[in-house]
Amino acid sequence: MTLEVKNGRFGYGDTQLFEDISFTAEKGDLIAILGPNGAGKTTLLRCITGMLKWKSGGSFIDGVPIKKLSARELWKKLAYVPQAKGTASSATVFETVLLGRNSHIGTFSQPKKEDTDKVSEILERLKISHLADKSCRRISGGELQMSLIARALAAQPQILILDEPESNLDFRNQLIVLETLSQLSAEGITCIFNTHYPEHALGRANKSLILGKDGKGVFGDTARVVTEEGIERAFGVKALISEAETKSRVFRTVTPVSLSDGADTQNERKPCGIAVVSVIANGFSQADRINAILHKYGKYTIGRMGIPYRKGGVSIANVINVTLEAPDEEIASLVGELSAIKGVAVKATCAE
Amino acid sequence: MSKKDGRAKRLAVRPYAAVLLIVLPIAAALASLCIGRISYPIGEILNAIADRFSGEEISGTAVVIWNIRMPRILLALLCGAGLSVAGCAFQSLFSNPLATPDTLGVASGTSFGAALAMLWGFGMIGIQVTAFAMGIAAVALTWLAASGKSGRNGLGSVVLAGIMIGSLFSALVSLVKFAADTETQLPAITYWLMGSLSGAGYEQLRLGAPIIIAGIAVLYALRWKLNILPLGDDEAVSLGTNIKLLRTVTVICATAVTASCVSMCGQVGWVGLLIPHICRMAFGSDHRAILPASVSIGAAFMALVDTAARSISAAQIPISVLTAIIGAPFFIILMRKSGGHSL
Repeated sequence: MTLEVKNGRFGYGDTQLFEDISFTAEKGDLIAILGPNGAGKTTLLRCITGMLKWKSGGSFIDGVPIKKLSARELWKKLAYVPQAKGTASSATVFETVLLGRNSHIGTFSQPKKEDTDKVSEILERLKISHLADKSCRRISGGELQMSLIARALAAQPQILILDEPESNLDFRNQLIVLETLSQLSAEGITCIFNTHYPEHALGRANKSLILGKDGKGVFGDTARVVTEEGIERAFGVKALISEAETKSRVFRTVTPVSLSDGADTQNERKPCGIAVVSVIANGFSQADRINAILHKYGKYTIGRMGIPYRKGGVSIANVINVTLEAPDEEIASLVGELSAIKGVAVKATCAE
Repeated sequence: MSKKDGRAKRLAVRPYAAVLLIVLPIAAALASLCIGRISYPIGEILNAIADRFSGEEISGTAVVIWNIRMPRILLALLCGAGLSVAGCAFQSLFSNPLATPDTLGVASGTSFGAALAMLWGFGMIGIQVTAFAMGIAAVALTWLAASGKSGRNGLGSVVLAGIMIGSLFSALVSLVKFAADTETQLPAITYWLMGSLSGAGYEQLRLGAPIIIAGIAVLYALRWKLNILPLGDDEAVSLGTNIKLLRTVTVICATAVTASCVSMCGQVGWVGLLIPHICRMAFGSDHRAILPASVSIGAAFMALVDTAARSISAAQIPISVLTAIIGAPFFIILMRKSGGHSL
């Protein structure tokens, strides 16, 4: 299922909030919408889902304008997770998640066993079954966020749209939420989330939309869009994207350095270099995705070697080494795309 | 937690609670039939009921029971259930624990209608119809005053408009009292405003009961959907609900029920606030449980309080005095015991 936004424009009264927003979300994409406070990230999500009307342009699901879909049809395909801070009902987590079944239950009908079973299954899947009978008021922010995600999943949507799902959470809970999103997109559910942390887009989202103060959006592969220049343009902050390594992966972090003085920094194009990108994937379930990404960078590829790693006659890991001759940013982009896939370890070694 | 426990909690109302909720109003009604200035043993009541249906000659006792106590108890059951359900719906709609059936000004409007009808010397049915019409008119005015504001924020304006319209109609009631004849009309109006079920008759019930029953039935059919009411606009919409329609239907049903109740038994305070809260403390916040519980407990409470009102002294005590005297302390004890319950 494809969600497409074409030339979206929106503003309140005479003030233009954003214009010419276009992007496409394919099945299994994990898309981050980045932008500073006040850029209209929440408003953009509300426009995408049809809760607000675009002034021009529109949203389409599989080519059909969403305003042509009935509420019931639309909200079976699409689910929305609001910011957790505005929600504090005294209902139990189970009752709250059950409300997510609403678009599957007729006006005068009651939830049936299949609905409650579905809810139990989702609570189990998100590992929050122990919260089922607790009031939403008595649980932590992270637990509430997971409950709201569970409620959205109860509608069995193919596209999940989340409004700053991690913004008010601590480290651990941020990771839980972000890991859940990676998991869901690996299962084929398209996830689109708002965030004002560029780091959460890097290495997790395969595509990003950066919303600048000027109301223009830049959309593309995360590694190409969420760059030092991109961050400076949108947030007005000079930032340094640096790398931190573990044994299996490189993590890219964003360090804000100083407020931007507004002058355009011209980055000279870096010359091509030789690099070896090493990939270890747990199992072969993501092999097609990995191949598709590698194929995209085919013109830079010099050589490639794949070795399935077997133990007791069963292939348990897929080891790939790719040698490329490419500009640094292309290498970074390739690593970024690959590391967005769950269960994949990626590193690049570049020649001096 | 064993798997069985987990499943029991999935049911909105546990079986034993469901049985209790069905038995409670029936028991309250039978007790109310027995108790009064003249008390009858339960056997005699059951005989009288049996006689009525077997077509045998009707005794003196049966006349008292059928023509005096029965309509009054039916009225008490209906109004108790109606006001409780309306209160429950309004509290969820405004996600405000202090909302009552009168939040939109319906009771003030109804009172004004009744007072005006008494000033003009209308009969019982005339009073009831005028009161009902004025109650609906008051809420229509409130809705109109707050129109143009939509969504959850708009609901705040609706509550404010309700307070304004309510006080406007209260002022109009005072005006009618001021103009009323102090010998005959003023005491009648004052007594009516305090609430009483003494005027209960089958003609009134025939007019008012269908509205109350229909309103409760619609809200009961929507009981699970009512869980969506306290949510914000975006949340409700994203669950695939037509939230505006749901809110409008809820307001119409709760208003019609309240107007019909107040037009028959005057202003009975507390029931619409107290009973839904008791139900929330006992059953949580799932309307699949608290809506039927409000019907049952509200009906039983009102029947018993009215029985007390007519039995304690030779002169009947106004019912809203008793609901407050019984309700307030009971409510405070319950709140302290359960740690309170917010929406």
